[in-house]
Amino acid sequence: MLLALESVRKRFGGVTALSDGNLSVEAGQVHLLMGENGAGKSTLMKIVAGMIPRDEGRMLWRGQEVFPRSPSDASALGIAMVHQESLLCPHLTVAENIFLGREPVIVSRRQMVEHAARLIREYGFPLAAEDRVDRLSPAGKQMVEICRAVHNGSSLLIFDEPTSSLSLDETEAVFRIVRDLRERGMGVIYITHRLDELRAIGDRVTVLRDGATVHTSPLSDVTTGQIISLMVGRPVSAIYSREALTPGKPLLQVEKLNSAKVHDISFTLHAGEIVGMAGLIGAGRTELCEALFGVDPLRSGSIRVDGRPVSIRSPQDAVRAGIALVSEDRQRTGLALRLPIGANIAMANVPAISPGGVLNLRKQTSNAVHFIDKLRVRASSPRQLAGRLSGGNQQKVVIAKWLFRGARIFLFDEPTRGIDIGAKIEVFEIMHELARSGAAILMISSEMSELLQVADRILVMRAGRVAGELPGRTTQEEIMHLAALEKTA
Amino acid sequence: MRRFQKLLPFLTLIVLFIALWIASPYFLTQTNLSSLVRQTAVINIMALGMTIIIISGGIDLSVGSILAMGGLVGTMAMEKGLPIWIGIAIGLGVGFLCGLLNGVLITQLRIAPFIVTLGTLGIFRGSTLLISGGLPVHNIPAAFSYLGGGNLLGVPFVLWILIACALAVHFILEHTRLGRYAFAIGSNPAAAVYAGIPVAFHTVSVYAIGGLLTGLAGMIEASRLMTGQPTAGSGYELQAIAAVVIGGGSLHGGEGSVVGTLIGAFIMGLLANGSDLLGISNYVQQVIIGAVIILAVAVDELRKRRA
Repeated sequence: MLLALESVRKRFGGVTALSDGNLSVEAGQVHLLMGENGAGKSTLMKIVAGMIPRDEGRMLWRGQEVFPRSPSDASALGIAMVHQESLLCPHLTVAENIFLGREPVIVSRRQMVEHAARLIREYGFPLAAEDRVDRLSPAGKQMVEICRAVHNGSSLLIFDEPTSSLSLDETEAVFRIVRDLRERGMGVIYITHRLDELRAIGDRVTVLRDGATVHTSPLSDVTTGQIISLMVGRPVSAIYSREALTPGKPLLQVEKLNSAKVHDISFTLHAGEIVGMAGLIGAGRTELCEALFGVDPLRSGSIRVDGRPVSIRSPQDAVRAGIALVSEDRQRTGLALRLPIGANIAMANVPAISPGGVLNLRKQTSNAVHFIDKLRVRASSPRQLAGRLSGGNQQKVVIAKWLFRGARIFLFDEPTRGIDIGAKIEVFEIMHELARSGAAILMISSEMSELLQVADRILVMRAGRVAGELPGRTTQEEIMHLAALEKTA
Repeated sequence: MRRFQKLLPFLTLIVLFIALWIASPYFLTQTNLSSLVRQTAVINIMALGMTIIIISGGIDLSVGSILAMGGLVGTMAMEKGLPIWIGIAIGLGVGFLCGLLNGVLITQLRIAPFIVTLGTLGIFRGSTLLISGGLPVHNIPAAFSYLGGGNLLGVPFVLWILIACALAVHFILEHTRLGRYAFAIGSNPAAAVYAGIPVAFHTVSVYAIGGLLTGLAGMIEASRLMTGQPTAGSGYELQAIAAVVIGGGSLHGGEGSVVGTLIGAFIMGLLANGSDLLGISNYVQQVIIGAVIILAVAVDELRKRRA
């Protein structure tokens, strides 16, 4: 047994983050750690990686009880974490990052580069030792973290949602690496939210719920449906389905749109319609939304809203035209995390709560109460800070902001990223409600199963262009075929 | 094209040099070049320390006050009869301790460097005035003037000091663990912590080195003027920061170089020197230098955005 955690407890102030964490990992094994956000997965892993101390319980490393007090303690034991948000120095090179924290007092650049290059070759990573890290893709950054862990002599690697921002090719590459590490006899703990990748990678699975381990077994002993039920604590259908609505008149007509990153885009969104958008990472889906929303300047092409041509040169123009962007990175571009929910909801429509030009805070609060109720945002009060909400509730606040503004065309960019299964279904329901009330919706998602459940039809992008359109009842293979034509052809 | 833009500060320096050579017959005289070197050396040496600090994501607004305190205490020691070299060592030591204090306050109180050094700017300056009673120190051994005014092998002695400091700082930044950690801390502090780097220790070291170099600059300044001035160096912090920034340093940390900083300091030195030679008023000079700072950073931003 490489690592064993027994009845680990952790409390933050009055909140119990972990009440009974149990996990045991063997060498040469990929152990999946599953659970909803807030179930205690991160807390448990932070304890293992030495980022926070445990309050109670035992942590056995190769049979010995240990207390890692810092990440360097953990790394001295042989435990390393590949972080979801890359913990690398962007201004330094690949080699410099691999050796960071382990260099001698006088640094020999040449030796370091050679050593790093050898390591990279051994694992067959597409990296160059002297590239600066800020030029790497998210997958490349993870590979650097893996190199660093291997170089540090780690025997247990923790992957925290490694594929959440990766393309399919890159995901495959990460799977290969994880399998390779397993072959080499390392233990791997793998945290993921993506149900479609469990079987591709895992040997055992442990499920956490409300801070306690509720299940652990070989992966082959449980079905995906059972895992979901264990995570949520009640039987939940993994499959969401919605009744199709009859599309109304065209709300958004895009013709021959060109920006620096997308080319010759034409499509139409009708009222009452949810149009999915598939494509590989880097196919230009986010870039298309940014062009439509006025973030990225348009070079040519026309946009009509409700049949009338509009000129969109800035997000201000887009918002005025009734377009809303629910962005991929809601923490950065969707919310003011340090402001209360009420202020966030009012953000795009401050004049509406400012009679006579003076901000009316009571109005802001009553408005927030209305939307919190309507979208079932779980918050302690309208004055709670947006940054304190869970991912799903943050997403609802973003949607509330656009509802209050009266948007009718919604661009959802990866709306379910980083939110729980339960909240996911709620977001789908909200989208359906929006469509029913006459809004037009474009929904980007990298999880094809999601698109197949939600979308009325699916546009597929490839290399900055719309490669084709598929009906909502298509298959993953069809989507993949269009999304990656060059590769399969 | 990208390479050209990277070389832009250097080319600016050359162009400025040639332009002044053509415009003024006095420019390329030994007297003028010597005085140019002596004028810029002080800012230059401070800016070298500032380079490491800025690379680590910090800033030190108190260097002007440290310069005054170092120079004053060092010269007071000489006035009391201590040997010159001990006086100089004391000046350096005072600078080192001031930097150390900045570093300790920043890391232990976890207050932003801007705030801490804004505070110590006042504390160091006030203390210097208190120690001196507001009066300059004049009674200094004549031989001390060699430091700032002497020549060695036909060039100002300070040029050798500057070269030595530049080489040392370059070596620290590019070839030692401390330098690597300065870049790492400035580039992504969280990553530095998670890599197991003793961030606090290295942050303190960075400020202490900055203070040490500033103490040295303070002794040179005192030697040049042959007085220990409690009011010396006010406003120098902004010139030192400007030199780093013109030379490609980023106030967000993670970027900067010795060569860049030297070029930045010399560009500002040449602008000042040239304006004097051409009879451009001090008022106009300030406008020009201010504009150059903004221009240099704007060009640098443009380069990065395109890269």
